[in-house]
Amino acid sequence: MDRVVTAGPREWAEVGLPGFAVGFLAGTVAGLMALIVGQPVGWAMVAALAFALPLGALGAVYSMLLAAGKVRMGGFAPACLFWLVGFPLARLVQEVLTRLVLTGTPGFPPDALGFLAYQGIISAGFAIGFLWTHERLAPRWWHRMSGHNPAAARVYDRYASHARVMWEAREARNRRREASKSR
Amino acid sequence: METSKTPAAGPNLVAGEQRVWRAGRLDPMPIRTLPEAPPSIHLLGPTVFLVALGVGMGESYMWPRLVLVFGPEIRWLFLIGVTLQAVVMLEMARYAMATGESIFTGAARVFKPIMWFFFVVAILVYIWPGHLSAGAAAFEEITGIPWVVTACVALVLVGILFSLARVIYNLLENVLAILIGLLVVGTAVIASMVGNWSDLASTIGGMFSFGYFPSGAMTDQWFPIVVGAIAFAGPSGMQQMWYTLHLRDSGAGMGAHIPKLRGLRHAGEEEEMPNRGFMFDTDNPDEMRKWRGWRRWVTFDALLLFWGITMLVTISFTVLAQSAARSNPDVKTLIEGGDRDAALSAMSDAFAQAGGPVLGGLFFGFIALIGLNATLGLFDSFSRGQADMTYFFVKGAKRFKMAHLYAGFLWGVITFGILILLFGPADGPESVLDILAFLSTFAMGSYCVVLLLVNNKMLPKPIRPKWWSNAVIGFGAVFYLGMLFYSLFRFGVVVG
Repeated sequence: MDRVVTAGPREWAEVGLPGFAVGFLAGTVAGLMALIVGQPVGWAMVAALAFALPLGALGAVYSMLLAAGKVRMGGFAPACLFWLVGFPLARLVQEVLTRLVLTGTPGFPPDALGFLAYQGIISAGFAIGFLWTHERLAPRWWHRMSGHNPAAARVYDRYASHARVMWEAREARNRRREASKSR
Repeated sequence: METSKTPAAGPNLVAGEQRVWRAGRLDPMPIRTLPEAPPSIHLLGPTVFLVALGVGMGESYMWPRLVLVFGPEIRWLFLIGVTLQAVVMLEMARYAMATGESIFTGAARVFKPIMWFFFVVAILVYIWPGHLSAGAAAFEEITGIPWVVTACVALVLVGILFSLARVIYNLLENVLAILIGLLVVGTAVIASMVGNWSDLASTIGGMFSFGYFPSGAMTDQWFPIVVGAIAFAGPSGMQQMWYTLHLRDSGAGMGAHIPKLRGLRHAGEEEEMPNRGFMFDTDNPDEMRKWRGWRRWVTFDALLLFWGITMLVTISFTVLAQSAARSNPDVKTLIEGGDRDAALSAMSDAFAQAGGPVLGGLFFGFIALIGLNATLGLFDSFSRGQADMTYFFVKGAKRFKMAHLYAGFLWGVITFGILILLFGPADGPESVLDILAFLSTFAMGSYCVVLLLVNNKMLPKPIRPKWWSNAVIGFGAVFYLGMLFYSLFRFGVVVG
């Protein structure tokens, strides 16, 4: 717990990076594809950033909540609840920003409530994909940062203690196998 | 070592100093300790392979097509198909986790010719490289590179990748996990931009219209297609059987006692393969506690990851198809007409109209991604299954390491694939297409029967399936085989 208290903003930013990366990447997929199919760079940038930045920021918040112990490691329900609010919010930001860029005045999509409800349901799918990818990337990143970042070290320790239990079980199995071979 | 020839399963016996479990006519299984199960929140398991194999054209094309033709109410049949496959997955996992053996070895314990049947079917059905064509064609739409070139390069790259890997399972799990993560996140992002509330509500609502079967579906044109779409909802053909090999290599349950399969370059590091699997002491309450932990783990995998992701991708693609059909009526005509490439192309155009060329290109990107996932999974699974059966049941095969046999099958299917792509029909000769479709569905009915026999006769009583699980698997056998033969005799056509 002491380690968390001593972690500064830079350390927390590092902790949030995996979530930011996954969210940002998901949001930029559209922009990258636009470049491949020959769209102007500027157009592609707007399409990507208006969605990627809010998604990335929310992803970073998720990583930080997990590191602070507020979200269960690898748990689906907390991630689902988080994105139930976060995903529609990010889409709303994108819609408003896109209208602002195209027309010069911000505005909500028609039938805003229906829009938000639809995005809320789609968020469950996004949550599965986000969690799946995040769990794959984040522990490795935190491990790399753990040398100088107390918040990363703390959350990595939690993953490592789980892995240690698994490793000890595997070692025990290997010993048993060796013993049975030598008999 | 106990070497009883008793055909049925027997209790734990003491032979010399070693306690064993006798099952069928093969070597008895020594009793070993069951490892602790990971917590059920552990997110990634070998289900990643099943998702990679299972989420294919059925989800992205066949079901959206049926929804456009018959309405969203037809989707209750998809719900039945995928739920049935989730139960099959749980029962496949039961045998593999309890013994560390593949379902093929389980079948051989019951009656060896059953296993050889699957060996032959795998070669006949999966040696054709047709599954590459949709993904490579989508890649051609984006980049302009001819699809045959992409397909041949992909085949060689897959071979090199799997030959250089130290532990193939670890490499493939990592690659597929990232690709599927991208697929799921990306599909959700596209659906959020293109679809709307009413499309989604009708798609989900249609899943609960139990009993809906329009008269148009009972024609010789559509009935085989509907049956095929149900059979191909989620993993089809032998994909569920291969899942038992991935479970074993992931170290799930008693699979922890079996060495991992290595790539050709690291074949020398392979530990000696035991001749048979292992069993744990089902009379020991602590071992049974661990077993229940493993069952919880695999149930989590089956329900959330397999069932959830398969549902999500199909719902998203159905919403996309409805949206495309609304913006461009030609799409509906093309999809109904059954020309897959033209329909996918028209769907992409419709998205381009709705959300700019970005979405059109993105759609093809995801079709290509689905193709890549399926190719990676299929080549590994086919080679793994054939190598497993050859190693354990072909005389003299044990002179080689499992890694050598795996590499032999892998490069064999790659070489054949390239030759066929360059000089022959990618899906297989026109005259045998019906036979291949028949065998694929027949294998699914057959593995349900095998599961009933293996899990109820070859496992100790405390870990045998519950009655309801047997009932579902029995229903699966009747359903797959019944529909297959009904279609054949009533309409003279195998599944479409």
